[in-house]
Amino acid sequence: MKITILYGTETGNAEMLAEDIQSEIEADHEVDLSNLEDFAPGDFDPECFYLLVCSTYGDGDLPASAQPFADAMEADKPDLSAIHFAIFGLGDSEYDETFNHGPKKLAELMIAHGAQQVGERVAHDASGSDMAEDLAFPWAEAVIADVSEKLGEAA
Amino acid sequence: MSGKIAIVGAGPSGCYLAQALLKKAPDLQVDLIDQLPVPYGLVRYGVAADHQGTKGVARQFARVFERQGARFFGNVSIGRDVTLEDLRAAYDAVVLAAGLSSDRKLGVPGDDLPGVFGAGRLTRALFEHPEAEDLPDLGAHPVIVGNGNVAIDLLRLLAKAPEELDGSDLGEGPSRWLAQSGIETITITGRSPAVRAKFDAVMVKELAKLSDVRIEVIGAGDGNDPAEAKTLEALSAIHDHGDGAKRITFRFGLTPKAVEGDAQAQAVRFANQGGEEVIPCTSVLTAIGFEAAPGLPRDALISGAADAEAGRLATGLFAAGWFRRGPRGTIPENRADAQALAAVILDDLSADPARVGGAVFDGLDQVVDYSGWCRIDAAETEAAPEGRCRSKLATRETMLGVAGARETTK
Repeated sequence: MKITILYGTETGNAEMLAEDIQSEIEADHEVDLSNLEDFAPGDFDPECFYLLVCSTYGDGDLPASAQPFADAMEADKPDLSAIHFAIFGLGDSEYDETFNHGPKKLAELMIAHGAQQVGERVAHDASGSDMAEDLAFPWAEAVIADVSEKLGEAA
Repeated sequence: MSGKIAIVGAGPSGCYLAQALLKKAPDLQVDLIDQLPVPYGLVRYGVAADHQGTKGVARQFARVFERQGARFFGNVSIGRDVTLEDLRAAYDAVVLAAGLSSDRKLGVPGDDLPGVFGAGRLTRALFEHPEAEDLPDLGAHPVIVGNGNVAIDLLRLLAKAPEELDGSDLGEGPSRWLAQSGIETITITGRSPAVRAKFDAVMVKELAKLSDVRIEVIGAGDGNDPAEAKTLEALSAIHDHGDGAKRITFRFGLTPKAVEGDAQAQAVRFANQGGEEVIPCTSVLTAIGFEAAPGLPRDALISGAADAEAGRLATGLFAAGWFRRGPRGTIPENRADAQALAAVILDDLSADPARVGGAVFDGLDQVVDYSGWCRIDAAETEAAPEGRCRSKLATRETMLGVAGARETTK
């Protein structure tokens, strides 16, 4: 399957996780990796499944590298109804009121433009005891299986 | 691209720089040098003990050593063990990322009275920096002067009930010190009006989780633009919070004029809009910024810089992070900075294979390498007591003992 991992990062943690996910799945799939700041709404390809990895920054805000993408989405209003995506979030429950609000905003933005979310949004907690990849690898496997079924394609 | 680059200071700026350099040019030899036996600088000794999530960036930095091939030379002081000149001769490029660790003083009469403590001095002691001074008695009524995130960190730690430090890496001594502090009130003062306070709204909101406090925000005023609204909203969210034992008061628009007291700080005299106001206290905690520690001649280097804005000090000599631009900006800003500086360095780099690189440290005793740090890290993690994620080794001697232990026993 063609998969593109898009990450929105501020401290580099989401970038590192995105790279780890790429290493984990690239034996079985054709995987591209891109920072959201280098990705335009017009780049979405219906043939491709999008794995979004996004952190939260400041007061529940999108991380810096996702902001230009969000602005472009608002401006371009692309029709993403043929696009499938799944999203993994990074946050810190020290700031419980806005925990994982960055990825939540990004998912809402995708859905608002018609994109179809696959699976649940999974959230890693930097103040918890799990390693992000220990949650993200099974998540990636599950959503890829999900979308394969949906698109009638062998995983 | 080949070449040898030395980064002085293995804190977040240095580590992000090494990461960015090696991403762009994986064949470089990048060596991170730190005067402490342990890496990560302010991630270990500045980011508060109860903000473990923020310390998560250390996992990225570990990769710089484990996968990107950077080397660590700990317990090496540039200026004392190796001169800056010798270091520059040994490497194609040298980057000063040593941070700013001295507290900026108030600069008013009485600012050197006993009972006046800088935030850096206090946080180093709280977070068990090997060169920290002892934790002092703050008395029942400390006043915090400063309105940045460091001031809020101090305020929060001093106000926390012991069980609110669960999951942190605050050491046994500092934990006991906090539990027995006897603090009854904390007044935090800022020179600017509330809307121009430098703290992040999210840091203020976090205070609403404190269980044993009563918070009062006085004179926050009002503002118009969205950033101002955010700060005011956060302050209004914590105003009147709680009915606990420690009373916290936020004050604004107070410019310190003098610290008063005979042999000990007993009050701070402030100028306010209408005149003057004296706030009695038992200690004064200043959190108004940092400046260079003695050692590297920062002022001369920066003022004589070829292009300080880009980070170029002289041929083959660069500055990064706080050392370059002053004590402003959090971890991600230093990342963006490091990525820009990496491009500048690689542009300038001309590699000379005759340079000796890390061999310049060969004659030194007790240099700690990355595997030595891993032994310290493992020992600290294993020794963590109930309710803590780590128990820091607090002296240079114990660190060096553990770092070197395996070589001597095997």
